[in-house]
Amino acid sequence: MSSECGVATTDARVESGSVRSGSVLVALVGPPNSGKSTLFNQLTGLRQKVANYPGVTVEKRLGHARLPDGREVGVVDLPGVHGFAARSLDERVAKDVLEGRAPDMPAPDGVILVVDSTRLEPQLMLVEPVLELGLPTLLVLNMTDELERRGGGVDADALAERLGVEVVRANARAGVGLDRIRAFLANVASGAVAAPVAAGGVGTADAAAHAATVEGSAAAADSMTAADSTTAANPVAASDAGVATSPSRPRRIELPVLDTYVDRRGRIRRIGQQARYTPPAPSWLTERLDAIFLHKVWGPLIFFVVVALVFQAIFAWAAPLMDGIEALVEVSGAWLSDRLPDNWFRSLLIDGVWMGVGSVIVFLPQILILFLFLGILEDSGYMARAAVIADRMMYKVGLQGRAFLPLLSGYACAVPAIMAARTVEDERDRLATIFVVPFMTCSARLPVYTLLIAAFIPDRPLLGPFFGARAATLLGLYLLGAVAAVGTAFLLKRTLLRGESTTFLMELPPYRLPTLRSLAIRLLDRARIFLRRVGRVILTVTVVLWALTQFPRVDGQAPEVDDSALGRIGHVIEPVIEPLGFDWRIGVGIISSLAAREVIVGTLGTIYGIEEATETSTELRDRLRRDLDMGSGIALMVFFAFALQCISTIAVARRETGGWKWPAIQWAYMLTLAVIGAFIANRIF
Amino acid sequence: MIAVEQAAHTSADSVENVGEFSHDADAPVLRLGEVPLRRTVELVRIDLPTDTMVPLLERGIVPGCRMCPLRQSPSGDPILLVDGVVLALRREMAECLRVRDIAPDAD
Repeated sequence: MSSECGVATTDARVESGSVRSGSVLVALVGPPNSGKSTLFNQLTGLRQKVANYPGVTVEKRLGHARLPDGREVGVVDLPGVHGFAARSLDERVAKDVLEGRAPDMPAPDGVILVVDSTRLEPQLMLVEPVLELGLPTLLVLNMTDELERRGGGVDADALAERLGVEVVRANARAGVGLDRIRAFLANVASGAVAAPVAAGGVGTADAAAHAATVEGSAAAADSMTAADSTTAANPVAASDAGVATSPSRPRRIELPVLDTYVDRRGRIRRIGQQARYTPPAPSWLTERLDAIFLHKVWGPLIFFVVVALVFQAIFAWAAPLMDGIEALVEVSGAWLSDRLPDNWFRSLLIDGVWMGVGSVIVFLPQILILFLFLGILEDSGYMARAAVIADRMMYKVGLQGRAFLPLLSGYACAVPAIMAARTVEDERDRLATIFVVPFMTCSARLPVYTLLIAAFIPDRPLLGPFFGARAATLLGLYLLGAVAAVGTAFLLKRTLLRGESTTFLMELPPYRLPTLRSLAIRLLDRARIFLRRVGRVILTVTVVLWALTQFPRVDGQAPEVDDSALGRIGHVIEPVIEPLGFDWRIGVGIISSLAAREVIVGTLGTIYGIEEATETSTELRDRLRRDLDMGSGIALMVFFAFALQCISTIAVARRETGGWKWPAIQWAYMLTLAVIGAFIANRIF
Repeated sequence: MIAVEQAAHTSADSVENVGEFSHDADAPVLRLGEVPLRRTVELVRIDLPTDTMVPLLERGIVPGCRMCPLRQSPSGDPILLVDGVVLALRREMAECLRVRDIAPDAD
């Protein structure tokens, strides 16, 4: 299942787990969208998600860079951060790793700070907090070519001298500057790089000893005698702790936070001047494109066209591919079935494993097409504009513009969508986003809807030949999910997550052409994650379900489904779900779909004893129509629109919120809504 | 180290101001929202609670820095050019940023 060996080149290995003990580890740090992940890929060979959208590295990534002499150095790619105030989850992750408090990896032995040269000064705000770590540091000035093309410039040597660290000009995308970066890794591995001067900031005796050996230690000495400020004298140390033993603080102590940043900004500007930094002229192309994409009329119009296009792609363009995979699964299943003896093993393999897994793999094209589109939108820089356009609407319901990407991703799958919510800086906004994402109609609901609509909704035209009752029902279900999401967000921000949030800051990066390579890697990554999920959850559930239909044995034969363990469970819960219009078969389907929504299709297929149980199966449709009426059918659709029937979503929500509290509330709330909604639907129709 | 001396001098005069720009001390203090497009102004004060202010500060947006409203988003929120970065924020926040015109000869 793993395609890791497929994506890693020969000179690199990637692990998602821990670093081998005793090996050297170097951390890549930098603001969002500075090119860290591109550099990481170049160093380790793993092609991972690199996007022109702030906050793409949602998890730390680990790889190994092989040095020219054959040694290997561990490299960890941290989420992009502007600082370590630890407000967002990304900042906490970055801070923990850098300070050696991450549970799964040792403290890093060196740091590579990657900054975008076209935005050098604000990006250098990270220099001081990074140097304060007291680790050997390399500053990588990424995209210097673009800086110079747009009429800017910087003297890297002067910058190195001022900061007291090694500075490399690079273009990570083109591989420029990699030699010197590898040389730095080699030096860290040999222990040949001293910690920077500002190491004194952390105040350890060890770091101070380092500082004394390095050029610029005079600065540290100066700061000891600085009369009015501990921070003013040292060009790079801004920590309140300071090297200085002097207890004197900067003036206006009532605003210590502001002071720290104002002082730091002043030093950075001065260092920039000394390094003859000239900012680039604004990109002409970006200016022109923004005039269109952020236009009062065209902007929102293009936004809606883009969203419509993404939907069209997921549902219309994916259809032939999905049909193809479906046919392939059925044909190969039949072919295999013909070649196996008719016994329990064939039943398990074909009815359980092959059809169960097959009914889920069908969604692969849809998920890949969605992520291809999201990838193009992110890498090109449009996603940041879309977030700006969406912000006002989102703000009204209690969310913010950054929640747009998670919510849109939610139409494919809630799992990556919940992880993408990490880019939402405000913690309350992030929790609200995670809470409502599962209401978005994910592609796992689609086979359930398709089956039920085909079974219970008559195919008659409503508005012309292209918009019939079935299409209207599907649209209605999508709207139902969206309305529930908006209503819930609105409710949450007035109850559990009360609080005004005005912080929405979105950097609009220059437009760039997405590279095929980056898009391809992103899709490989997605395919791998999806297939792994199929392999674990869906496979397990299918096998367990199949087993439950096989026992207790009657005369050595599998029992009738009605008498099997599964059937008995169904009959026990039947009274509970009867008011919703469901019978015991649906009850078993709902229980089994706790693992994943689409499982209900396979379960019903198994129960009805139909071998090729897939969502287009006419027999299954007919059997359903015989057992349930239209009210029950619509009630079941409404149930699935609301209920949080997905173990993977619950697991990722637990991980992202740091406990069971939120997923528990979320699950109970969505189930309550689902039961009430189904009850009402069953009464109306 | 020249940097050291300069830093020691300037940061002592005022923390409201990085000290790099000569601003027009008599120019009235405006809300950022009142500044016409394409006019470069200097940030004088941020009237926000510390928590809300930190994301701005971390991006180098501190009193003394220059900013220029580039355009408005379709919903009327400001899009600024600050230190070469194009940054979108909400008008509610822009109302809390106090700015002042830069003296004409300072450019």
